[in-house]
Amino acid sequence: MRNFTVRQISVGFAILLLLIAFPLVIRQSFHIHVMILVFMFGMLGVAWNIMGGYAGMFSFGQAAFFGIGAYTSSYLSVTYGINPWIGLVAGGCAAALVASAIGYPCSSLRGHYFAIASIAFAEIVRIVFNNWKRVGAAEGLTLPMQNESFAQFLFNSSKLPYYYIMLAFLLVSLAVSYFVTTSKMGYYFRAIKESHTIAESLGVDVVLYRLIAIMISAFLSAMAGTFYAQYILYIDPGSVMLLATSIQIVLIAMLGGAGSLMGPVIGAGILIPASEYTRVALGYKGTGMDMLIYGLLITLISMYYPEGVWKLFVRIGRNLK
Amino acid sequence: MESKNWIRVLCMTVALLLVLVFFVSAQSEQKVIKIGAVYPLTGNIASTGLDCKRGVDLAVDIINGKYDLDLPLARSEGLPNLGGAKIEIVYADTKGDPKNGMSEAERLITSEKVVAMIGAYQSAVTKTASQMTERLTIPYVCSDSSSPTLTDRGFKYFFRVSPHDDIFARDQFQFLKDLEKKTGQTVHTVAVLYENTEFGSNAGKAYKKYAAEFGYNVVADIAYSANATDVTSEVGKLIVSKPDVLMHASYITDAILFTKTFKEKGFQPKGIMTMAGYIEPGYLAAVKADGNYIIVRSTFALDLAKNKPLVAKVNDLFRKKYGIDMSENAARSFMAPFVLAEAINRAKSTDPEAIVKALHETDIPGDQTIYPWKGIKFDPQTNQNIYARGTLVQIINQEYVTVWPFDSASKPVVWPFPGWKER
Amino acid sequence: MPDQLLQQLADGLLIGLMYSLVAIGLTLIWGVMNIVNFAHGDFLMLGMFTSFWLFTLFGVDPLFSIPISFVCLFVLGMLIYRFIVSKVMKGPVLAQLVVTFGVSIFISNLAVYFWTPDFRLLPATMLQGTWRIGGVELSVPKVAASIGSVIASSCMFLFLKRTKTGKAISATEMDREAALLMGINTERINSLSFGIGAALVGVAGAFLSTYYYIYPQVGGLFGTIAFCVVALGGFGSIEGAFIAGILVGLAQTLGGFFFDPSYKYAIVFMIYLITIWIRPQGLMGW
Repeated sequence: MRNFTVRQISVGFAILLLLIAFPLVIRQSFHIHVMILVFMFGMLGVAWNIMGGYAGMFSFGQAAFFGIGAYTSSYLSVTYGINPWIGLVAGGCAAALVASAIGYPCSSLRGHYFAIASIAFAEIVRIVFNNWKRVGAAEGLTLPMQNESFAQFLFNSSKLPYYYIMLAFLLVSLAVSYFVTTSKMGYYFRAIKESHTIAESLGVDVVLYRLIAIMISAFLSAMAGTFYAQYILYIDPGSVMLLATSIQIVLIAMLGGAGSLMGPVIGAGILIPASEYTRVALGYKGTGMDMLIYGLLITLISMYYPEGVWKLFVRIGRNLK
Repeated sequence: MESKNWIRVLCMTVALLLVLVFFVSAQSEQKVIKIGAVYPLTGNIASTGLDCKRGVDLAVDIINGKYDLDLPLARSEGLPNLGGAKIEIVYADTKGDPKNGMSEAERLITSEKVVAMIGAYQSAVTKTASQMTERLTIPYVCSDSSSPTLTDRGFKYFFRVSPHDDIFARDQFQFLKDLEKKTGQTVHTVAVLYENTEFGSNAGKAYKKYAAEFGYNVVADIAYSANATDVTSEVGKLIVSKPDVLMHASYITDAILFTKTFKEKGFQPKGIMTMAGYIEPGYLAAVKADGNYIIVRSTFALDLAKNKPLVAKVNDLFRKKYGIDMSENAARSFMAPFVLAEAINRAKSTDPEAIVKALHETDIPGDQTIYPWKGIKFDPQTNQNIYARGTLVQIINQEYVTVWPFDSASKPVVWPFPGWKER
Repeated sequence: MPDQLLQQLADGLLIGLMYSLVAIGLTLIWGVMNIVNFAHGDFLMLGMFTSFWLFTLFGVDPLFSIPISFVCLFVLGMLIYRFIVSKVMKGPVLAQLVVTFGVSIFISNLAVYFWTPDFRLLPATMLQGTWRIGGVELSVPKVAASIGSVIASSCMFLFLKRTKTGKAISATEMDREAALLMGINTERINSLSFGIGAALVGVAGAFLSTYYYIYPQVGGLFGTIAFCVVALGGFGSIEGAFIAGILVGLAQTLGGFFFDPSYKYAIVFMIYLITIWIRPQGLMGW
C-alpha cells in the first residue's frame, strides 16, 4: 500500500471532514464522549498494531504502557506542577524505556509465549503501582480542577477541545503507522513476523527491530494515557492498568483487521459504540444482557470475518468503482 | 458479493445505530423531577449495586405515594410544594469503572436532564462522578460511599449523608475503650487487615491512626488483593502476630474467603471487628453459622426497631416489595432520595443553586430517619452530615444485633470471641 | 515460626495442586490446537455451578457431581468446538484467540442473566472440616481436590501415552501435518481434545465448589493464573502443567507469607517471567 489512489484520498478526506463536523452538528455530550473513546481506543489499537499486527508480537499488556503514560504526566503535574504537554513526552519516554527493559529479555519469545509474558508483565506493573505509596497506591491520583487552558491541557466548559485533540493524536499515530509500514523498517517487521530465522539469515537485526517496534508502540500508548488522565482527571491502577483494557485493545485491533492501517480504527468504531450504547440501553437493568450482546458480537465477527472487518470496507470500496 | 447487498447492509446498520441513539437520548415529557443514580448494576460488584437500588426504589415509592410514616414527604404524594410532582430515578450502570462514573453522570445531566445525582457506592466511581457534577454545578447527595477523602475536596455541590470510614474506625476503638471500662476486659494488641484498593487502604490508614491515638499496639499491618484465589499466607501472618483483636476492612468476596480460612486455621483472637463486606446480605447467606460473633460496623440494623418503630415499618414495606429483609447497603442508599426530595420541596424549585442552598439549611430530626442519629445537618465547610455516626452490630444466631453504643444495644456483646468448634 | 512454615508449605501445595488441575485441561487444548482457550475460566465456573445446582436442587453431594460435571463439560466443550472454534481454525491465529474470548464473555454473562451475580457457597458437604497432621491443619476439601488433581493428571498422562486415542492426540500435538499423513483424523482429535480439556476443568470446578465461593465471574483470576501455569510448564505438557501448578502455588503462598501478601501475585508472575527468559519453551515444553 505504498501510494493511495485518488479515490482513496478523497474518501479519506470526506470522512475526515465528517469527523471534524460531527461535534458541531451532534451536540449531545454523551455521543461526543463515545467518539472521543473511539479515537482513544483507535489510537491504542494502532499502537498495538505496530508491534502486533506488523511485527507479530501479540501483546496483551498494552494497558501497562497506557497507565505509565497516565501516571507519569499526572504525577509530574500534581507533584511538581510540570506542564502536562511536557508530561506527555515524559510519559512516552518512560513507557518506551520500560518497554525496552522488558522487551529485551523477551526478544526471543514468540506467539503465545510472548502473549502470556506480556500479561504477566502488565499485571506486575499494576500490582506495583497499586502498592506504591508515592504515586498514591490504590487511591490513585486526582488531578486538580483548575481554570481551563490549552497550555494546561484542561478544558471544563466543553468537550470539543478534547475531541479535536484526540482526533489529532489519532491522526499522528496513523501517520506513524503509515510511515513504519512503508519504510524499510516495515519490511523488517514483516520479515520478523514471518520467521525469526529467515529474517536473521537476511541480515535483519531481529532484537533491535523488535525493540524498536515495542518502543514505538509503548510511546503512542502512553500518549493516549496522558490524554485519558487529562480528560477524566482521576486515575488509579484499577482504571488505567486493567488486564481487561489490554484485552479490549487486542480485540479492537484484531476485529478491525490486524496488520492493516485503518483496521484498528474501524475496530474501535464498531466495538466502542457497541459496548457503550448497549450498556446505556440495557445495562441499568443489571441482567448482563448488554455484555451478552457484546460477547456474541465478538464471537460472530471472529468466526465470519477472521481477517477483520476492514476487508468488508475494502470490498465496499472496490464495489463503488 | 453484490454491491447492492452491501449498501443494504450498511443502511440497516445505520438505521439500527440511529434507533439506539434516539433510544438513548429520548426525554420524557411528564411532570416529574428526575434524579440520576449511578451504580454498579453489572460486573463484579453487581449484587451490591442491585442491593442499593432496592433501597432507592423503596424510598421513591414512599415519597411518591401516601404512607403513614415519620419520613420526610411520606404522608403526601410527591412533593407538595411543587404541585405533587413525583420523583423519577434514572439509573445508569457504571460497571464499577470510574471512567463510566464520569461519563454516565454527564449523560444523565446533559441528555436526561436530571436535576441531582445519587450513588455510586464505590468511592473511586463516586469521585469521578462527583467531579463531573461539580463541573456541571449539579448537586450530588451521597449516602453510600464511605471514603473520607470524598468530603475533603472542598466541593460545593457534593453532600454526604452517611458516616465515613474514619468515623467507623474511630468507633471501633472507642468500643474497645468502653468495653474495658464496662467489663474490665483489656486489649493491648491489634492486627490491621485490609484489601488494597481505595476503600481498604483508606480504612487501613484510619485504623492505624486511631490505634496510635487510643494507645494500642499494631502488631500486624497486612494489605491484600480482594480477588484472591487463596488467603492462607495472610492468615498465617495473622496467626504468627498473635493479636488480641483483628480489625478487617474488606469487600464481600474476601470476607467470605477469610471467614472460611479463619475457621480452617483456627484463628481465634479475642475479637474480630470488621467493615463493609461482612454486612452484605450475600455474606451470611454464604457462610451461615460461621459468621457468628463477628462484629461489624453499621449504620443500620433491624433491631433498631426496639427503640424506633419506624425501622420495623420500613422493613415491612421492604419485605413486602422484595421478599427479603432490608440490608445495611439498601438502608444507606435509602436515605439520599429523601434528603434531596425534602430539599427540593423546601426550595420550591429544581434550580441547582436553590437546591444547594436548601441542602445547606437541611435539618432533618433523627426520628425522621431509620438510623440511630440525632439528625441530618450538613457541615458548612465539608458538606458532611455532622450527626452521622455508626453503631457496631454483632452477628448472633445469624442475625445482626446492635451491641454498641451500650445504651442502644439490644443484647450484650459476646466477648471474647468463642472458638470455631461450637457452631 | 517453624510450624507456620510447614503450614504454609502444605497450603501452598494444596492450592498448587488445584492450579494444576485447572491447568491440565488448558494445556491439552493449547498443545493440540494451538489455541489459548480464554473461556477456560468460565468452564471452571460452569463446573462449580453444576455442582452447586445438583446439590441445591437434588441434594447430590459434590463428590458425586464430579463425574456429572465431567460429562456435561465434555459435551459442551465438543459442541463449542464443532460449532464455533472449528470455523476459525483455518483463519489467522488472532481470530482463534479472540473467538474464545467472545465465548467467555457470553458464557459468564449468560450465567449472570440466569443465576444473578450473587455469591453462593455450598454448605456443609461430605467433604468438610480439617485434619490435624503433625501440627499442620489440612482442609479436607482441599486435600480431596489435591488427590483429585493427582489422579486426573496421572490418568491423562497414561491416557496420552498408553491408549490408541491418546497417542493419536499426542501425535497431533507434536506435529499436526505428520499426524494427518499418518491417517489420523485431526478434526476429530481436536474436537475430542477440546471436550476433554473442558471436562477436566469442569472437574476442577466441582472440587473447587466445595470450599470456594461460586459466582459468574469466578473464572477470571483462576484463568489468568492457569495461563501462567501452562506457559511455565510448557504448552501441551501434562507433566509440565502439573509441576508448574505446584510451583506457582508454593511461590504464591510462601511469597505472600515471607514477603508481602499484596505482592503475592506479582511474585508469581515474576517467577514466570524469569523462568521463561531462561528457558523460553517452559519447563517441559519442546
